[in-house]
Amino acid sequence: MMQIINSLIEVLSFVVLVLAGVAVIELAIFGSFQLFAPRSRNRLPIMMVTPAFVGLLLLIGYPIIFEAYIAFTNLNLATIGEWARGGSLQFVGLKNFIDVFTEPPMQETGFFGLLGRTLLWTFVNVFFHLIGGLIIALLLNNKIRMRGFYRMLIIIPWAMPQVVAVLAWRGEFHSQFGFINIMLGHVADVFPFLASLGVGPLNWMSEHAFAMCCIVNIWLGIPFMAVIILGGLQSISPSFYAAAKIDGAGAWQRFRYITIPLLKPVVAPAITMGTIWTFNNITVIYLLTGQGGGTERADILVSALYKAAFNFFRYGYAAAFAFVIFILLMAFSLVWMKLSKAYEEVY
Amino acid sequence: MEPRKFWIRTIAIHLGLIAWCVVAVYPLLRIFSVSLRPGDRLMSTDLSLIPADATFAAYWNVLTDTNFFMWLYNSLLITIVTSLIGLTIASAAGYAFSRFRFPGSRLGMMALLGTQMIPAGMLLLPLFIMLVKLKLTNSYLGLVIAYSVSSVAFSIWILKGYYDTVPRSLEEAAMVDGTSQIGAFWRIILPLSTPSLAIAFLFNFTMAWNEYIVARVVLQRPELYTWTLGVFELQGQYTTQWGMFCAASIMVTLPVMALFLYSSKWLLSGLTLGGVKG
Repeated sequence: MMQIINSLIEVLSFVVLVLAGVAVIELAIFGSFQLFAPRSRNRLPIMMVTPAFVGLLLLIGYPIIFEAYIAFTNLNLATIGEWARGGSLQFVGLKNFIDVFTEPPMQETGFFGLLGRTLLWTFVNVFFHLIGGLIIALLLNNKIRMRGFYRMLIIIPWAMPQVVAVLAWRGEFHSQFGFINIMLGHVADVFPFLASLGVGPLNWMSEHAFAMCCIVNIWLGIPFMAVIILGGLQSISPSFYAAAKIDGAGAWQRFRYITIPLLKPVVAPAITMGTIWTFNNITVIYLLTGQGGGTERADILVSALYKAAFNFFRYGYAAAFAFVIFILLMAFSLVWMKLSKAYEEVY
Repeated sequence: MEPRKFWIRTIAIHLGLIAWCVVAVYPLLRIFSVSLRPGDRLMSTDLSLIPADATFAAYWNVLTDTNFFMWLYNSLLITIVTSLIGLTIASAAGYAFSRFRFPGSRLGMMALLGTQMIPAGMLLLPLFIMLVKLKLTNSYLGLVIAYSVSSVAFSIWILKGYYDTVPRSLEEAAMVDGTSQIGAFWRIILPLSTPSLAIAFLFNFTMAWNEYIVARVVLQRPELYTWTLGVFELQGQYTTQWGMFCAASIMVTLPVMALFLYSSKWLLSGLTLGGVKG
């Protein structure tokens, strides 16, 4: 009971603080416009936008500058306690940035191994999300019975809380009691020739962790793509297909020359978003492999960063690592946006 | 099309959809099935959906032996405050971006898009260290602050996309009738935008409600755990608590999923209007 009252006081006082801060900012802007540019038409939009941007500046701008500072220090588990009490930090120059490329963030895999795996992870996941989503959307885009019912079941992986979904899969990949290995065992029993090819219960948690993470993440991501593509398909006017049929185009030609080009404006931004999300996905890999005794065979750059910071407490090193990842991601995004021009018409 | 070919086609479509539906639903069914197992048979290679001696004991254990209600309360409080703060700030900012060209408006929108590109792990580290310095770890505020970052930027995008579809003539008419621009926004545009506000609220809500990675770093005291942390704790390496994990998961998942499925039509239209505009 006490905890509930305390929590309400804590949260309410925070809300009041935010409101007071917003009021001060608004008054300051209003006052300075009255003083310096009383006739400006920009007053209202600036007043409306500023609270959001002050918030983002405090919560994104400042932390990033602060992170740049940490990246040049030796902040870690041993030094953070004293520093939090007001001690100073030791500058180590570029040591952290050099370490990023020469020392593994956890124990085994180095930077370039992680980078390669990240690229593979992103490509495999986005590719299968797209293919799977396209197939399901095409199937759903027919006049069939129970369409609404299918549509509802199909987005369940997306609707389930990720923690529950991933942990449930974790159980299914258990070497002895998980569904996958039980089924693989049955398959190997029934078809001995497949067993000789290596089909059978596998040690997913340690040896095949990367494949396991990919399977789970593909399962999670397909519904989103399917729904986006279905929206795109439904916006294509049937008269295009009718016209093409009259001109003698076959099913494949109609798909290739009508469906794909007309889906592009819908799918291109979804691919951009999907790539960024996949590249930055910590949750799936961490929940599957991040517990005590977990393997690092499935880790990609961001999950290695997370583990380096919060399992191994190497804060300075992790800060430098984060900047290297960020620069990489920015470079990829700029190249991709130049290539696809996906966001040209957004603004 | 000749009838036989038509039937083959229809059956093939149904088979394809059923196959995916089975894959999509199966993990959920398995959790449900394990949650019904009696405690001594948790570790079993039995694949039947309803176990032979099904029992609700695991549910009862979750409700009585764990802090289940406290976890839900913590999650709910953090989630609602985050969503409301994000929505209030974003509804004004989105309007300004939709209706005005002002110095920095283009740059501002681009900056918002840029924030979506920053790896979560990158912001989390300095935020965490700042929270340590401000003594805000192990507090609700730490999480509210951390979640607000993503909720504000995302909501602005969604709401701007919606405002763009509301014709300007509505405000112009109201202003001819004597109200100010801000009055038109407050009395005309905001009430008209209730559906998109609901969409943005739901998005922020599900995002914060299901979050685990940040919460694990910020909250270490068990009495402050959100439900994701609590449920994760229950799930050991196939210990006796596996059944409780499944029972707790089912109890949290079903209402959230029902909400999501119920609102999915609007959610999806909101997504295509704002973030990924075709």
